[in-house]
Amino acid sequence: MGGGAPLLAIALGPEGYWWANLLVLVSVYSLLGLSLNLINGYGRMFSLGHHGFWALGAYGAGWLTVALAGTLPGPLVFVLSCLFAMGVAAAGGLVIGLPCLRLRGDYLAIATLGFGEIVRIAIQNSPRELLGGAEGLTVPRVLMEVGPETRAAYRLLFVGLGLVLVVLVAAAIRNYVRSARGRAMLATAQDEVAAGLLGIDPTRSKVAAFLMGSTLAGLAGAVYAHYQGNITPLEFGFMEMVKIFLIVVLGGLGSISGCVLAAFVLLFVEQWLGRLPDSVGWVKEWWQVEYALVLVLLMIFRPRGLLGPRELTDVWRAWRGRRAAAPGRGGGAP
Amino acid sequence: MARLARAAGRGAGARGGRAVSPPLFETRAVTKRYGGLTAVRAVSVRLEPGELVGLIGPNGAGKTTLFNLITGADTVSEGRVWFAGRDVTALKDYQRARLGMARTFQNIRLWPDMSALDNVRAVLAPGPGSGAVAAVLRLPAFRRSEAALTARAEALLDRLGLRAHADARSVDLPYGEQRKLEICRALALEPRLLLLDEPAAGMNPAEKAALMATVEELRRERNLTILVIEHDMKFVMGICERIYVLDHGEEIAHGRPDEVRADPKVIEAYLGGGAC
Ligand SMILES: Nc1ncnc2c1ncn2[C@@H]1O[C@H](COP(=O)(O)OP(=O)(O)OP(=O)(O)O)[C@@H](O)[C@H]1O
Ligand SMILES: [Mg+2]
Repeated sequence: MGGGAPLLAIALGPEGYWWANLLVLVSVYSLLGLSLNLINGYGRMFSLGHHGFWALGAYGAGWLTVALAGTLPGPLVFVLSCLFAMGVAAAGGLVIGLPCLRLRGDYLAIATLGFGEIVRIAIQNSPRELLGGAEGLTVPRVLMEVGPETRAAYRLLFVGLGLVLVVLVAAAIRNYVRSARGRAMLATAQDEVAAGLLGIDPTRSKVAAFLMGSTLAGLAGAVYAHYQGNITPLEFGFMEMVKIFLIVVLGGLGSISGCVLAAFVLLFVEQWLGRLPDSVGWVKEWWQVEYALVLVLLMIFRPRGLLGPRELTDVWRAWRGRRAAAPGRGGGAP
Repeated sequence: MARLARAAGRGAGARGGRAVSPPLFETRAVTKRYGGLTAVRAVSVRLEPGELVGLIGPNGAGKTTLFNLITGADTVSEGRVWFAGRDVTALKDYQRARLGMARTFQNIRLWPDMSALDNVRAVLAPGPGSGAVAAVLRLPAFRRSEAALTARAEALLDRLGLRAHADARSVDLPYGEQRKLEICRALALEPRLLLLDEPAAGMNPAEKAALMATVEELRRERNLTILVIEHDMKFVMGICERIYVLDHGEEIAHGRPDEVRADPKVIEAYLGGGAC
């Protein structure tokens, strides 16, 4: 790869460089959206702590990478750190999910809201030699050396990695939903009382979906940590939760393709705003309010999301069907 | 009341000339209090295997509450519930269901955004190969178990004439079909005891008669024991061997349909309550 890397940087150009960065972020946020969709969309639970699981994953991966870098082959460290990140996030999910999901009601929202903040504050106040504290943690580059000449290649590597992971995770979620376990989850989500009375253990279905969602957020964290190379607790604040939730709602609660599209749209707008001239800088400065506003408007007017639970393919088919049916309408009944 | 109960006991014993079999299911003096209101007071109901028994009473008599106590949707204040030879009072709803106890709901409680087929498949006990890993990887074992589930669900939908609606969302089904789908879903549990809470509510007399005939057939086909709540005395009288009558949470009569119908307390409860 060494010889091709400078050529890549030239071929990519500044525009390509910007797009590559966007696509990596889109994959990370797609993973976050897809996993939150499992909890809040299909599972109809209300988690407000997804940024906490994301942070757990990022810092879990970062910590293990620091510990193992140089002792094992780079790709192996990368894979191990991803698995470890998922394990840490799953453990967090178990601690929060088990007590809350036994109860019927909205205890989960309150507990997860606190959880996300606790994770961030704990990392912020952690000893510097352990997690880097408020200044952040530098994650060694284990997949390839990153210098001025290989930065483009590194980004492209993560574009590929991110897209592959998004496809795999989307397929896994789709397959899970369309299985006996997935139907138990949907049934519990849609009427928990009926589910229990028809032999489905509601707690088990909810905990399974919640755990799967938080574990996958941990994976997103690992990819993010390795891509950024440096992570700080401030990157995992509650506004990130708002962003992820906005992605899920924009895409439609319970829609996989909608979620990925929404992640793309949201991050494209965000990155594009970053390039606006200072004369319209207020648009950038008020982004937190703007996101919250869009979210509130969506929850009022389209509470099931823009697409609802439909996939893009369904929308496309319906649109084609309507177009095909339209010309025949005039000659129908008198 | 005591006279009727004794008569019913004789009737059951005489029916097949056999000894009285152990009950499949019974409640022993169950009571449910909601604050100051006693919705069910010391009710003892007992069903032998294969019986089709009616539970009637005016509005607010405590019929649905009794179903909730039997199935574990609600906890008893006092008394015990026995099923298939064991005390299930401490078991959770899904544990009781898995022992073979299924119910339908007076206010339809299908899973609205799932298809009719999936409402049934969600309840069927999945065989081997249905685990999460096999499902996510779409292993051959998973495909086989899924095909088997689908075939069983379709057979059940067929039985109640719902095959044409298999792929429709359950909320989009016509009202009467939703009621049938609830029965279908309950049967997917392969229950021994089926509890039907006003299965024909909202249907016209012809539909009601057809549904009751189907219930009667299902009982024989599947060796079911059935307890059915129904407001309409005429229909319960037609198909039930025995009837329990509740009023204000208490059992006021119990016996064969003709006995119950002639009981002054029952006439009083129904005329006084203004129902039917
Ligand atoms: N969860 C509850 N909390 C408080 N009161 C309740 C509850 N459930 C039922 N009740 C009361 O208990 C009494 C019995 O209600 P139940 O629903 O069992 O009557 P029912 O015989 O099924 O009547 P209907 O024929 O109208 O369905 C009613 O007075 C009702 O208001
Ligand atoms: Mg009732």
